[in-house]
Amino acid sequence: MSPLARLRLFLSTALRGMRQSPYVHAVAVLTLGLALYAVGLALGVVRWVDALSGALGGEVELTVYLAEGHGQAQAEALAELALRRSPGASAAVVPPGEAMARLGRQLGDLGAALEDLPGEPLPWSVEVRIPPEGRSPGALAALASELRGLPAVSGVDYAEQAVTRLEGLRRALRFGGLLALLLVTGVTVVVVSATLQLAIYARREEIEIQKLVGATDAFVKAPFLVEGGLQGLLGAGLASAALWATGRLATPRAAELLAFLVGPSGLPRLDEPAVLLQLCAAGVCVGLLGSFVAVGRFLRV
Amino acid sequence: MIQMFHVEKTWPGEQPSLQDINLRVEKGEFVFLTGPSGAGKSTLLKLVFAAEMPTAGQVLVGGHNVGRMRASGIPYLRRNVGVVFQDFKLLPHRTVAENVAFTLEVLGTPRREVADKVQRMLQRVGLSHKANALPPQLSGGEQQRVVIARALVNEPTILLADEPTGNLDPALTLDIMDLLRDVNIRGTTVLVATHDHSLLERYRSRVIRLEKGRVVSDGTGPP
Repeated sequence: MSPLARLRLFLSTALRGMRQSPYVHAVAVLTLGLALYAVGLALGVVRWVDALSGALGGEVELTVYLAEGHGQAQAEALAELALRRSPGASAAVVPPGEAMARLGRQLGDLGAALEDLPGEPLPWSVEVRIPPEGRSPGALAALASELRGLPAVSGVDYAEQAVTRLEGLRRALRFGGLLALLLVTGVTVVVVSATLQLAIYARREEIEIQKLVGATDAFVKAPFLVEGGLQGLLGAGLASAALWATGRLATPRAAELLAFLVGPSGLPRLDEPAVLLQLCAAGVCVGLLGSFVAVGRFLRV
Repeated sequence: MIQMFHVEKTWPGEQPSLQDINLRVEKGEFVFLTGPSGAGKSTLLKLVFAAEMPTAGQVLVGGHNVGRMRASGIPYLRRNVGVVFQDFKLLPHRTVAENVAFTLEVLGTPRREVADKVQRMLQRVGLSHKANALPPQLSGGEQQRVVIARALVNEPTILLADEPTGNLDPALTLDIMDLLRDVNIRGTTVLVATHDHSLLERYRSRVIRLEKGRVVSDGTGPP
């Protein structure tokens, strides 16, 4: 018998087994589907947060204000220092006049009031644009702290809170997702193995006869492993369909809500082909793991 | 074909089921194993198809030492030994043809050969007209014929039958015994465990009598 014919035989045996006790298998597939859906959703939300963080990162800029009495020379020296500390960054020196003009533009009609102010109320400043690889809260805080410690600097501003919160959220989601994944994997392995325990019990006569007529252990076990893998694949199919539906409903609304942050590129899709493939692979792996546990524990051949 | 040297089988905490068994069954022989219930007939058959391992002694089947065989080798030994039980062990939800094909399926016989072999085997046991029936729709004798067909479809050199007529009425009993005789005439070595004395008188063959796990007589005709 060719390997393909053998695989077909195992597949048909597994399908027959699933037809024999459809409700038990349906519960296992549903559990797997729900678990994988939760994982897929968590992955999607993490990617949304990544996208938000990236978008916000585009705005991350450190503004270093010089202390009174310091001028262009110190500003340029600071710009050089910032560039040395944060490779890949860009730095621009902003004279008080330009800062005032910008403020005037931002204030619109009220900007005219600034013309009456005496002297130059705004200090020299340096705007440092941080590249994506240097946008972690730790790196930003370290740079800001070093700059604040210089005698020529009166203050440093950046979107510290937003970056820290987003990073915290991303970390919490990843950690929570990993924990949920472990928990969900454990639960689904137990459910799949319990289902297959019942299948093994239901097919005990068939197994006995198989052994009697000379079936190898691998031949007896293979259909149960295929059954577990099939359950995983069906569960992944269910999860993919649910993710697709959720993506259709939720992604446009979320993108609309967060448009001011993410811009025209929008949010990543929940049902990206790569994610669905990962879910299928995870489903098959969990199904196989459950069937390995069941076959190892309950199938004495 | 089958040889046993000082074979003993004991389960923990129990009296020996078999003690100091020495016998030799030649290729093509028809042998009755007889004795009262609990004499060790079924245990002896189980040793031949490696369902049990001897506690002591040597069991040789087709030149292979069963006791020294690795677990992975046992399925290949069983492919050469057909087994028939009193309680049939048929799959109730599969048709007669599917039950017979089951053996070939396990052995990986190509599909196109399976149908042909099954049809020929059902013809041989006189059940080709019941190929699509389910086992519960058959009489006891017919079910036993299906079991024999399943045991023989891969042409094993040895056929073991453990009380094959135990559940059958006298007419069907003779029917099945004639079939086993026919199998033997075609060259298969047949070992039949039975406590039915009438069979030993009707079919004059070699009879090995067991009592309390020991061979008490070995000869032709009823002991």
